[in-house]
Amino acid sequence: MAEAPKGLIGERIPRLEDDRLTTGRGRYLDDLTPVGTLHLRFVRSQRAHARLTAVVPGEYEPLPPEAIVITGKDVLGLGIQADARVVPKVIEPHQRYDDNRPTELDPAWQSSLQPALAHEVVRYVGEPIAAVLHPDPYVVEDAAEAVSVHYEDLEPVIDMRGALAADAPIVHEGWRDNVFIRRHRTYGDLKAARERGKHTVRITTRTNRQAGVPLENRGCLAMPDATGRGVVLWTSSQMPHLVRTYVSRALGIPENLLRVIAPEVGGGFGVKGHVFPDEVLVSELARRLQRPVKWTEDRVEHLLSSIHARDHAHRLEAFVDDDGRVHGIRAQIVVDAGAYSVFPWTAGSDSGMVPKVMIGPYDIQDVEFEDIAIATNKSPLGTYRGVGRPSATFSIERLMDTVAEQLGLDAVEVRRRNLITEFPYRAANGLLYDSGSYLDTLNKVSEELDWEVARATDQGGQRYRRGVGVSVFNEQTAHGTPDFEVRGTPIETGYQGMRVEINPDGTSVIFMGLQSHGQGLETTLAQVMASELGVLPSTVKVVHGDTGNSPYSVGTWGSRGAVLGGGAVARAARELRAKVLKIAAFRLDVAEDDLEIERGVVRVKKNPSQLRTIAQIAEIAIRRAAKMPPGLAPGLDALAYVDGPDRGTFSNACHGAQVVLDTWTGRVRIERYVVAEDCGTMLNPTIVEGQVQGGVAQGIGNALLEEFNYSDDGQPMSATFMDYLMPTATDVPALEIHHFDSPSPWTENGVKGMGEAGAIGPLAAVAAAVSHAVGAQLYETPMQMERVFAIQEGDVPEHLTWEYWHECPRLRGFWDDF
Amino acid sequence: MKVRLTVNGEDREVEVEPRRLLSDVLRHELDCQGVHLGCEHGVCGACTVIMDGVAVRSCLTLAPQAEGTTVLTTEGLGTPEHPSVVQRAFKTEHGLQCGFCTPGFVCAITAMLDDVDEMDDGELREALAGNICRCTGYANIVKAARRAAAERDESDSVIRQGGGCCGEQRGCCNG
Repeated sequence: MAEAPKGLIGERIPRLEDDRLTTGRGRYLDDLTPVGTLHLRFVRSQRAHARLTAVVPGEYEPLPPEAIVITGKDVLGLGIQADARVVPKVIEPHQRYDDNRPTELDPAWQSSLQPALAHEVVRYVGEPIAAVLHPDPYVVEDAAEAVSVHYEDLEPVIDMRGALAADAPIVHEGWRDNVFIRRHRTYGDLKAARERGKHTVRITTRTNRQAGVPLENRGCLAMPDATGRGVVLWTSSQMPHLVRTYVSRALGIPENLLRVIAPEVGGGFGVKGHVFPDEVLVSELARRLQRPVKWTEDRVEHLLSSIHARDHAHRLEAFVDDDGRVHGIRAQIVVDAGAYSVFPWTAGSDSGMVPKVMIGPYDIQDVEFEDIAIATNKSPLGTYRGVGRPSATFSIERLMDTVAEQLGLDAVEVRRRNLITEFPYRAANGLLYDSGSYLDTLNKVSEELDWEVARATDQGGQRYRRGVGVSVFNEQTAHGTPDFEVRGTPIETGYQGMRVEINPDGTSVIFMGLQSHGQGLETTLAQVMASELGVLPSTVKVVHGDTGNSPYSVGTWGSRGAVLGGGAVARAARELRAKVLKIAAFRLDVAEDDLEIERGVVRVKKNPSQLRTIAQIAEIAIRRAAKMPPGLAPGLDALAYVDGPDRGTFSNACHGAQVVLDTWTGRVRIERYVVAEDCGTMLNPTIVEGQVQGGVAQGIGNALLEEFNYSDDGQPMSATFMDYLMPTATDVPALEIHHFDSPSPWTENGVKGMGEAGAIGPLAAVAAAVSHAVGAQLYETPMQMERVFAIQEGDVPEHLTWEYWHECPRLRGFWDDF
Repeated sequence: MKVRLTVNGEDREVEVEPRRLLSDVLRHELDCQGVHLGCEHGVCGACTVIMDGVAVRSCLTLAPQAEGTTVLTTEGLGTPEHPSVVQRAFKTEHGLQCGFCTPGFVCAITAMLDDVDEMDDGELREALAGNICRCTGYANIVKAARRAAAERDESDSVIRQGGGCCGEQRGCCNG
């Protein structure tokens, strides 16, 4: 399918969406307020774990007139249930999946219903207990203050290891323990690997909890439709069709009575790639009250109760020979998934991703994993740029650096000896890598950093010390339906649909179910359309995120928008082009092959003065159909669906960081950051570079600053931007970006996904650089001053030791079994 | 209470509760929805507007404090057809992605435009650190600020304009 790039593909055209966004004309969720809107404010739990004994509106001060209070008992059963079903043990890439469709709940799985409003029990601080409605957005806040909540405290489960203790309090009554799901997978022969590698290297890593934090908070607005039964729901979402499917089921209304529109979305990053209970509640209340109901999240609410991310503890054991060749790896992955399972990914998403991607770019065929997703009294954990991959890459790359250190080898050389160099490559777990440039990117970055010289420099005794580090990774992107089918989770497909049409004046429109939230999809998809059809991108309009006018799509996540959305546009545009040529050939009385289309004009190749504009063709096809070729139907539109390659297409990159450490304080500053990346054919290099720079900035935040803390009794300690530190312009350097280009043989134009890649590499690259500067290995993010200083002083925290986790009986078994 | 102010070149009068935030008044009463709220406690800078030539956080300003002032929002700086030099520079340098933080950055940079040339990169980044962008990683925003400073002319100085709009020559508003 791969073809040489053509037309505008690969051109740095400026973004079409920028004129409205720079001048304040973009309309985001909170900019929409229909006449008669009731504003909704949540009363949220102030306790991590408690029984609700009473919810009393107006106990100490009267409610403002017109206020409406809805509590959990008014909406019993309404909420989010995201379950996992049985997954086949081994999935071969070529296997047919229709026989394997999991239908039964996985016996290892424990279900949690996340209620729209808590009833009887609250399970994290910030969980909604009551919804208060009022026409005035200021008064509704007063009204919510006037609702009293009476609690009977229960013992909270906050600490990851504590949640697994034999006598731990149970987050969900009736559960056997605090484990959503626990899975064990073995590929290859670990015993043989141990014999080949005589050194055993062990590490313990921790990537602490953080938040995704799009700058626009979440929000939704529901308005009853004219039938009185249906609803139009505007929501700041990355997946409007999936919201429609879930919410209509929850409401018990036919899917064609719910129209979901994602307006301009101010950043998503996976945080908005969920269906949330508030979307269900707001839709339900608009139907009950027959008035528009709107909820706009504030920043404290976002940090408290939209999803969190990362929060992994890993232990790895590797069998390595004298040359630094890693023959086998065993890893135990523990993820704190919070109080509830998120839709559609489930609570097992982050932990399940790690065994899939941890080996990544390395040729290691003997591996064994156990992954455990545990429930605690914290905000639910969901998807955020990279999903599990930043933590997985952090661990495997920290392992490579540790191998190098323990064997007295160079860290880049150890990577070289283990990297995959021949493609396609079948990974131990069945993933099939299409193409890549793993070694090239590593060589490029180490050359740019002047690796040997930088590593050899002795800086002993100085206050400021430099360090350099690298990380290598690949990323499964645009994975197709089979990859999801076997997960047994409510996300079942990976395809995208696109409808394109030409108007009577020759302008054209792309209707997409994808949502653009900053990736420049309006521009890149218009570029694809313009290239295929032979028109100017400025004549192509992209209508996104409205289930009322677009074909079903799964949404914008998993680095699939440009690959599969772009692929669908290409196919649909090609169909349109063929029809345009048919009509033009008939009108000009020549063969279709004699024609070409450029800048909206169809010409006879040998006689360019003979022409029809696309506008003239469109006028015929749509308004003067009697002039059409006999037998050809009127109209100029086309529809295409594109599914991803079975196991995806694999981007790759190497990140290199150079840091300066202030040894007096532990403060780290990033001096240089080098990226060599390969996402196959680039549709628009400017947009690719923007995504990489932005992703790396998030990764740097992840590496150095961002941490969501809870106190021992489950109180959030990081619920504002004063406590939750976001990277600003002073924290992120301009990147040095180098491109490699290994087109995928499996996608349109050889495009690979790259939306998340930037955020995956920085944790490991920065950790390696800081470790170099400190002179001791760091195994925990974020590497805030006090953590770095402690390691520098030789003070290793208990939770980074093997024994700390090994003391937990529920974790020891995996290691004892071998 | 009544509050009178000039917004994007137009004299406006609004009746508000004293506790009402300037950001909300601009957004909901005065149709400047390009003023965005990202944190509502003065850290993210998305709500930045230019008040009497100075960049201020409209989420930390009560509407009555704006009495008698001249306020510019990104809508008043330029239009899609006639963007201001800063707005143009953001597009040229790919200084925005989702666009949510952009109006705040546009206002902040517009207010400091006359001083940008004198700042080294560290100072410029320090000056921009009052605004949070979650998408771009800042590098292109820094470039946009530099480009805008290099390409600006008399009409792009809000301070010299005395808080007027984009200048009569563009004719996009009431000046």
